[in-house]
Amino acid sequence: MSAQSGLAGAVYDRGYRPYVGPRGGRQEATIALWRLSVRRALGLRRSWRQKVLPWSLLAIATVPAVVNVGVAFALKDNPLDFRDFEFITYREYVGVSTTLLLFVALVAPDVMCPDRAQRVLPLIFSRPLTGPDYVLAKVAAITTIVFGFGFLPQVVLYVGQMFVSRDGALNYLTDHAGPLWQVPVSVLILAVYYAAIGVALSSLTDRRIVGGVAILGLFLITSTVASIFEAAADFHGTPLAVLNLLSLPLAVRDLVFLGRLSHDQGLSGVDGGGAVAVAGYLLVVLGAIALLLRRYREVDL
Amino acid sequence: MFAAPAPPVMRAAGLGLTYAGGHITALSDFTVDIPAGSVGLVGANGAGKTTLFRLMLGLLRPTAGHIQVAGRDVATDPVGVRSRLGYMPEHDCLPLDQSASDVVSTFGELAGLPTRAARQRASDVLDLVGLDEARFRPIGGFSTGMRQRTKLAQALVADPALVLLDEPTAGLDPMGREEMLELVGRLAGFGISVILATHLLDDVQRVCEHVVMIDRGRLVRAGPIEALLQTIGVMRVEVGGRDDAVAVLAQALAAKGLASTAVDAHHLDVDTSRHGDEAFDSVRDAVADAGLRLYALSTQHRSLDDVFIQEAYR
Repeated sequence: MSAQSGLAGAVYDRGYRPYVGPRGGRQEATIALWRLSVRRALGLRRSWRQKVLPWSLLAIATVPAVVNVGVAFALKDNPLDFRDFEFITYREYVGVSTTLLLFVALVAPDVMCPDRAQRVLPLIFSRPLTGPDYVLAKVAAITTIVFGFGFLPQVVLYVGQMFVSRDGALNYLTDHAGPLWQVPVSVLILAVYYAAIGVALSSLTDRRIVGGVAILGLFLITSTVASIFEAAADFHGTPLAVLNLLSLPLAVRDLVFLGRLSHDQGLSGVDGGGAVAVAGYLLVVLGAIALLLRRYREVDL
Repeated sequence: MFAAPAPPVMRAAGLGLTYAGGHITALSDFTVDIPAGSVGLVGANGAGKTTLFRLMLGLLRPTAGHIQVAGRDVATDPVGVRSRLGYMPEHDCLPLDQSASDVVSTFGELAGLPTRAARQRASDVLDLVGLDEARFRPIGGFSTGMRQRTKLAQALVADPALVLLDEPTAGLDPMGREEMLELVGRLAGFGISVILATHLLDDVQRVCEHVVMIDRGRLVRAGPIEALLQTIGVMRVEVGGRDDAVAVLAQALAAKGLASTAVDAHHLDVDTSRHGDEAFDSVRDAVADAGLRLYALSTQHRSLDDVFIQEAYR
């Protein structure tokens, strides 16, 4: 026991045991950072106030699925209608709700800005991690959560529809095999896109509110600007519609579900519109990643 | 530079770092071997201490020379080096909305420890630094001393071979400073080498065995503190028994060939540089012969401040 043991705030000697267990490297550290970021974004091990918003948004995102399944169940035995009730398709359900965007605007700044504002970065980078590891862990964390929040309602919709289908669950499954791969692929495309943009913009500021506003503002402004170009082209399609960052991942989603762009896409009237959409998508995602790698190339202690 | 039997925990050879196309020199021709144990890295603010830490952590690449830490080349294996280092920054760096337990175990996991082991280690090191009861409270409500201890705990959680402490006593009250220094002084006994960067030479003199002095990016002096604080050939004598005791003693010492300088009515400094330990006997005899009372007799040492000022500004 120390000499100060009788005083408040004294340091007690409980001895010291060296650590002799397993010790991971970069990979383990990156996975740990990913796990901690996911936990933070979901408000786990934090006060209930930090849990309310993300889980409320998940509940809101699930509402259309629950309503669809509920109405289908209620109308299941209606003799006047021989089709399963369906007011939303799997394709439309991918990204149709602004809930995911709101969610990204909420959680991406929350997992990025405090590291810089509270000067935690020097501690993180004094661990066996590199800048690319940090970027990978953060983007992967947001991608994971957005994917989960985008995919879970789809699962509710699919499983619910399967069990209330008039043709029976097995027939529904065989008749709707496409969404089994189309939904996860397109949700992943959307999640990577939102995560890359959200994390990149959040890395530019120390303040969460600024990061959130920047994310929403970017989507709002680009979609408005693109709409002006589309209107100027009399809605016959213009390559400048690629500037619409809000609908760009939805165009790629259409390629996954339909093999072509849907008619409501600004690029649908453009020759090679699908290729333009994919190129625009890749450019945005890779640009955001490049920005992040540059941003975390060097850290001040 | 040191005659230490154990391999050095840090070895720098011709280390240099320049900015702005070579116009700004942060570190220049820095060559030193830092042995295992407790080592003080002292220098004024802006001398290059934190820059040296950044180079040791592999977060900066030197523009000249080489650096090895814990037996690994920082240039080729920075991640491997960081896996064996703990780092405690000078500035605030803790997430204020999380508990000390969560923060310390988080940094244990980031150092590669499995989750369960990280939580156990966090509990152990928080006990060690005296935060056992407060560890579940948010750090935002901690005092400066408690935050400093939490910072130290996160540096120790992965059981590093070497821990870099940047001004660990900054902002602490006298009691907190005592406790922090006591804790730092015990780390070497746990098998953890310490490099303590500070501008407070007194802190280094209290807890370190070796010192590395740095000024404006250049190595000033390095070596065991004991060797640097060699006697400077002056003995201070405190006498009494009569009002002119100092003058009488000075006269008696002069007769024995010892020069002296009066400090005040009861003290005088005797130059012993040419007489060695025999001077003690001569002073004792002179006091007795003159019928004076001898209250105190001590050799005078240099302080680290004296060494630093002498070496840095010569």
